[in-house]
Amino acid sequence: MTLILQELVVGITTGAIYALIALGYTMVYGIIELINFAHGDIFMIGTFVSIAIFGLFGITSTSQPTGLTLASILIVTCLVSMLVCAVLGVVIERVAYRPLRNSPRLAPLISAIGVSLILEDVGKLWKGITFVTFPQIFPQITFSLGPITISGVNLLVILVALVLMVALQWLVTSTRIGRAMRAVAQDREAAALMGVNVDRIIAITFFIGAALAGAAGFIYGLQYGSTIFYIGFQLGLIAFTAAVLGGIGNLVGAMLGGVLIGIIGALASLIPDSILPHGGDAWQEAIIFAILILILVFRPSGLLGQQVPEKV
Amino acid sequence: MSTSIGSGMLLPAPDTRKLLIKWIVALLVPVAVFTFWSGESIINAVISPATASGGVPTDPVSLIQAAIFTTAFYVAVLLLAGYLVAADSGRRGMVELWIDVLIFALAPLVLVILFGLIIGLALCAVVWPAYLYGRSLVRKARHYTPPPPLESLKVMDAEQRSALMSRATAGGFWFGVAFAVVSLIVDLVYFFTGSLPSILLIWAIIRTLILPVAGYFLGRLAGVIALRRALPQRENGNGGNGIGGGRNRLSRRQQLATLSTTRASEEAKDLVPNDLPLRSSGAQRFYLILLVAFVLFYPVLDPFLFGSGTDGRLAGYGDAGYYVILALGLNIVVGFAGLLDLGYVAFFAIGSYAWGMVGSTQFGLITGVLVNPQIWPWFFWPMLLGAALIAAFWGVLLGAPTLRLRGDYLAIVTLGFGEIVPVVFRELDKYTNGVNGIVGVYSPALPGADWTTSTPYYYLILALIVLVIFANIRLRDSRLGRAWVAIREDEIAAASSGVNLVSTKLFAFAAGAFFAGIAGAYHAAKLGGVSPDNFSFGDSVIYLAMVVIGGIGSIPGVIVGALAVYAINQFILARLDSLASDPSNLLYTIHNGVAQVFPGFTFGNIRNLIFGIILVVIMIFRPEGLIPSARRRRELHVSTEEAPEVGALDVVPGAPGFETEVHVE
Repeated sequence: MTLILQELVVGITTGAIYALIALGYTMVYGIIELINFAHGDIFMIGTFVSIAIFGLFGITSTSQPTGLTLASILIVTCLVSMLVCAVLGVVIERVAYRPLRNSPRLAPLISAIGVSLILEDVGKLWKGITFVTFPQIFPQITFSLGPITISGVNLLVILVALVLMVALQWLVTSTRIGRAMRAVAQDREAAALMGVNVDRIIAITFFIGAALAGAAGFIYGLQYGSTIFYIGFQLGLIAFTAAVLGGIGNLVGAMLGGVLIGIIGALASLIPDSILPHGGDAWQEAIIFAILILILVFRPSGLLGQQVPEKV
Repeated sequence: MSTSIGSGMLLPAPDTRKLLIKWIVALLVPVAVFTFWSGESIINAVISPATASGGVPTDPVSLIQAAIFTTAFYVAVLLLAGYLVAADSGRRGMVELWIDVLIFALAPLVLVILFGLIIGLALCAVVWPAYLYGRSLVRKARHYTPPPPLESLKVMDAEQRSALMSRATAGGFWFGVAFAVVSLIVDLVYFFTGSLPSILLIWAIIRTLILPVAGYFLGRLAGVIALRRALPQRENGNGGNGIGGGRNRLSRRQQLATLSTTRASEEAKDLVPNDLPLRSSGAQRFYLILLVAFVLFYPVLDPFLFGSGTDGRLAGYGDAGYYVILALGLNIVVGFAGLLDLGYVAFFAIGSYAWGMVGSTQFGLITGVLVNPQIWPWFFWPMLLGAALIAAFWGVLLGAPTLRLRGDYLAIVTLGFGEIVPVVFRELDKYTNGVNGIVGVYSPALPGADWTTSTPYYYLILALIVLVIFANIRLRDSRLGRAWVAIREDEIAAASSGVNLVSTKLFAFAAGAFFAGIAGAYHAAKLGGVSPDNFSFGDSVIYLAMVVIGGIGSIPGVIVGALAVYAINQFILARLDSLASDPSNLLYTIHNGVAQVFPGFTFGNIRNLIFGIILVVIMIFRPEGLIPSARRRRELHVSTEEAPEVGALDVVPGAPGFETEVHVE
């Protein structure tokens, strides 16, 4: 039981990262119905940018800043990573997706795959083909909560993710931009007729989604301590799954889906060798996707997705 | 038709003379280039094997094959000459045609000579759209619109038919003469400089006599073929104006023209006389002869064309072949039925493992049956079907839970399936040997075939591709195929029209998976092993890119797309590093320049970068694919044509002429 609770903590932390990435998928899908395969790779660039910023601050594994310095370094790194990724996202939208807005449906999908391949190789050129380690900047503190222990990093990750999600929710539901975004998602032409600048709103959507991926890259580094150029593809796939699980286009659904998949993955690793050869870890992906398929069979539009009646 | 012989042919009328010059120049240039490249060396090797050099085959079987190919090639060209001269309406200028031939016939030939078959063809896939794009720009700038094809279509009376016949004969004859004279002059030059043995000189003289005669008779044959496509005069003689009964093809055309200009012009493409005879279905018949002869005898021809290294090249084409099958299979699911499948690699994996586990000692380990390596390879043939059926079964199993899903929910389920299957194969090492994969998978067995070389694989994949293409065409045109298109366009409308959504969708998944299973079994046999690492999500994405780049739903498009993507990946990008190691190459300087900024830079590291840029660029400039399907092309065509028509309704409804002004699609 303790073990399960402990894995639950791991699952929620991982799930928070998935959720942040999934939000980007779901926002882009909601507004232009595109599976943005490049999104996971933007996240990967985010992890690399964070490492680079830490390097600029002169942080190595031996020099450990504390207190206010540490906090400000963390905040600056997170913000810069978000900004770089956001700009990248907008540039990608401008170059690779906007010319294809009225094309056959699969054309932007292939374009997205192309961008994903490009970003992966950019990462490879930048940091090489081996794992890159993050400096262990955050102090190793743990809290005991009954039988389970929670590390400080875990708390920070969950905190950052929560703050960003709440901010996003506020932005989408309570601001002018958010209202415009929802209008464009519902009916692009009608929104344009009402005076919404559709191109700008789509660009903003990409900006926000990519910024969240940048933040995810930053907290991923804190949590796991290393990254590699293909990480974006792997995590992106799972995050996309999370977005679909929650009901694609639905923000709360993406958060829920992310956390749920994090928990499923963590619990799956508890399955012993006697049930599945090589243990649950090896089967993690297969289990996640199997559960996804099961859920979709019973709820074809995801957990929180609306069953939209077909237009006739 | 006997009137065609005589002075009319030897001294043609002025308008025929113009056509003759136009087509003889257009055809002679590519044919001469081919002949000097390797056609001549094939003939020389056949005539006198002793003079052959450079590792070309000289055994009788190969030489007979080479001779058959050469004969078929030149016969087809002479037929083409006669047909094109007869079928041309003469309304398009010479220069326009010559530029077209330069781009569509000479460019591929030269590119293939310079860069090898696959890269050459892949470059064509770049050159052709670029040319079409440039031509449309030029036309727009000069406000030039090609004349509509319908106006010149007339019913032919007996006089015109015999004139057409004599034009065809003259075309074949004069092309034969021109070609013979040019070859003779070149051969004489060689002879007097001493590099031509006398036996070949005798052949050159015989050839000079044969070609015009063959041209004459083949031209007549081409004339007969062309006449079959001309609008016939009504036999019971109604004044020859084609009126009387809606059964006449011309009046059907007029009816069509008032309903749909697009369909009428598509039908008019096949008729004689024709504005674009090179693209007519009559000419396509001759291209088919060329293509079949070339593909069928390719293993023999290869050393003549490209020198040594045939086996390696054939192995490469064998690999390209299963990509073609995969792309065609995926095209059924994505292109015909419109179901986005992101996990297609799973069925390929299932097919591979089906033969991998049965056709190796692994089978003995699992079941305890003693595997006899003498007879076991024979099971490949039933297992080819078996693997396909197993894959199709899993296709149905996957299809079943997705029936209620729409659009991208479906995509994610297929993606999930594609992720689960390799994991299962990797982790169930009791049966599949886990991460190490299965090694020592048997090649197929067939008497007389040596499976250690690539030639049998070449013919095997060729036969499979032909089968798959045939099945694809039949499926597309069947009741089921139309049901697929119907649910692709509008599921609810299809269901209301009596299409059974459940079985139609399941059949789409099953058919797609079936072909992937065939490709998988072939893949396992050719590679001699199966490894779970060969089946990742990235592969599914590549297959999808092949389909979309080629032209979704279009069978020729998908084949071209598969070859193009394979060529870009395996032939161009994989070779950049070896090219860059040559100091005389431009890439060498680029490589050194970049390596100063990024230490340890190799082109291998940016393969995906280049490939990704190519994908994005192709999609931006040709979102409908390289060769879009006729249906999609028509859709795009309509949308561009409709816009001005709505505003330009300057004829009052009800007024005379209103019917012709408004086209109802």
